[in-house]
Amino acid sequence: MASRLSRIWPTLSRVRLSAALGSRCVSQTPKSSASGAAVASDLQPVSPAAQDSHGHAEVSPFEKNPDFHGFHHHDSFVDQWNMKLAFFFGISVAIVIGGTFIHYLPDHGMRQWARREAERLIKQRESEGLPLMTENFYDPSTIVLPSSGEE
Amino acid sequence: MLKVLIPTMMLFPTIWLTSPKWLWTTTTAHSLLIASASLTWLKWTSEAGWAFSNMYLATDPLSTPLLVLTCWLLPLMILASQNHINPEPVGRQRSYITLLALLQTFLIMAFGATEIIMFYIMFEATLIPTLIIITRWGNQAERLNAGTYFLFYTLAGSLPLLVALLLLQQSTGTLSMLVLQYSQPLQLSSWGHMAWWAGCLVAFLVKMPLYGVHLWLPKAHVEAPVAGSMVLAAVLLKLGGYGMMRMMVTLDPLSKELAYPFIILALWGIIMTGSICLRQTDLKSLIAYSSVSHMGLVAGGVLIQTPWGFSGAIILMIAHGLASSALFCLANTAYERTHSRTMMLARGLQMIFPLTAVWWLAANLANLALPPLPNLMGELMIITTLFNWSPWTILLTGLGALITASYSLYMFLMSQRGPTPNHIMGLQPFHTREHLLMTLHLIPIILLMTKPELMWGWCY
Repeated sequence: MASRLSRIWPTLSRVRLSAALGSRCVSQTPKSSASGAAVASDLQPVSPAAQDSHGHAEVSPFEKNPDFHGFHHHDSFVDQWNMKLAFFFGISVAIVIGGTFIHYLPDHGMRQWARREAERLIKQRESEGLPLMTENFYDPSTIVLPSSGEE
Repeated sequence: MLKVLIPTMMLFPTIWLTSPKWLWTTTTAHSLLIASASLTWLKWTSEAGWAFSNMYLATDPLSTPLLVLTCWLLPLMILASQNHINPEPVGRQRSYITLLALLQTFLIMAFGATEIIMFYIMFEATLIPTLIIITRWGNQAERLNAGTYFLFYTLAGSLPLLVALLLLQQSTGTLSMLVLQYSQPLQLSSWGHMAWWAGCLVAFLVKMPLYGVHLWLPKAHVEAPVAGSMVLAAVLLKLGGYGMMRMMVTLDPLSKELAYPFIILALWGIIMTGSICLRQTDLKSLIAYSSVSHMGLVAGGVLIQTPWGFSGAIILMIAHGLASSALFCLANTAYERTHSRTMMLARGLQMIFPLTAVWWLAANLANLALPPLPNLMGELMIITTLFNWSPWTILLTGLGALITASYSLYMFLMSQRGPTPNHIMGLQPFHTREHLLMTLHLIPIILLMTKPELMWGWCY
């Protein structure tokens, strides 16, 4: 497949630059063994002057403005500023500053503290040779049970 | 709350008073600032749950992730729509962005509502802008049918909800979520009570959607323009999940038995809709059915009513919202270039759009729940809790996970790999805008891996 592409590559690169001459989707490459499939745009007649629904007709906006960013078709100044502001507010403000804000949020519910404290206590008790935890949560001598037997 | 709601309302003057040249720039920047401000909601100041409250609105760890997702999505929708709306007259462009901003306002008020009737009204209100977006700006004639299905499925489900809520108001005296969470469990035993239980949940099950009442979703998602598809997949489906989680508080103890058929339907739906995905020729339809599949898992997680189920449901909702929206944006980039959603027609794109192939890979990996992305974490928690409820569910959920991986890979291989057909050799290169759109979808998913406790809901 790579060899087929290298055969048609010179024609292909000319196709993109000369997109103004023909329609967007019609292949300009000479009919070779590579282009076996039916071409979709043969189904409808295409007039070069036709305005398609995106308003950029058959001309790629990259022809007039090679630095087209996708924001504004006709005005490169607005296009560039739209790109700058979208990146600034989207990435620099929202993701970077917002992400930093979220990173430094306080430890909600003291969960991280609880984990650190547990690890610290385990280390301390292991080094002192004490059991990690006593079986009884409450001191049994403080528990008053009703007497069993006659009720 | 108001520091986000007031700027959102001020979007309307921004839209109508900006000069046409700077319309999209200002609305994008304004909505990104609102999204940044919404991140302050993540600082939960109170231990009791509800924070940032005024008389009508408040946030709590369940609604906060969904609120931030909603606010994040508006700039993404504006970025995605910019190209295909640009050729229209300025008045119509302004109307379009107004509808998006209106939807945003209703959604913020819906997720922030503390009174269930207010939530209900906002839930219904979101239908109007979405309907207008689908039926006015959709690209095919089927959009009218899609709008009808969308509207009437949801309305048919929500009318019983209204009756049920009024009954609840009458028996408990309040519909404030802050109060209902502490109320005594209701005495529910008769058939009438069971009907009431079903009435409370059907609206949300239709919205989620549950398999069986899901027919509106593929139509609406496919016929909507890209912003409509994004908001539908990312946020509106989650309204259903959120509503269910709020209502579950009052619906005990009937839910123990009555949830059974719905859980089974949801699980069966995962497999059925996943299998349908493998047979799709329409790219957007495939992504739509995959949304039904993921939401089936969320529905199962919510109906189980365990802490892990709820946490898994929220995590999966947020992660799916971002991943699904990313996939719809990618499908739209292919559609804008080839004017076709047929997957056969736009294949082998990796050769001509190599960087975009990276986005396709990342979005599909997120969709198939690759670890360590939050998509997997949510799915695992739900699968585990379902297994705890009944070990047999592992057959359905495991098969569902397998099928999810299959159709996600199928989507990737179909669109990216293989020889590029000759009729699409001359497509326009990818715009900076489209690359930015994809990074703004994917970076939050990756960042959420580092601090998932934002999404764990009440159980954190």
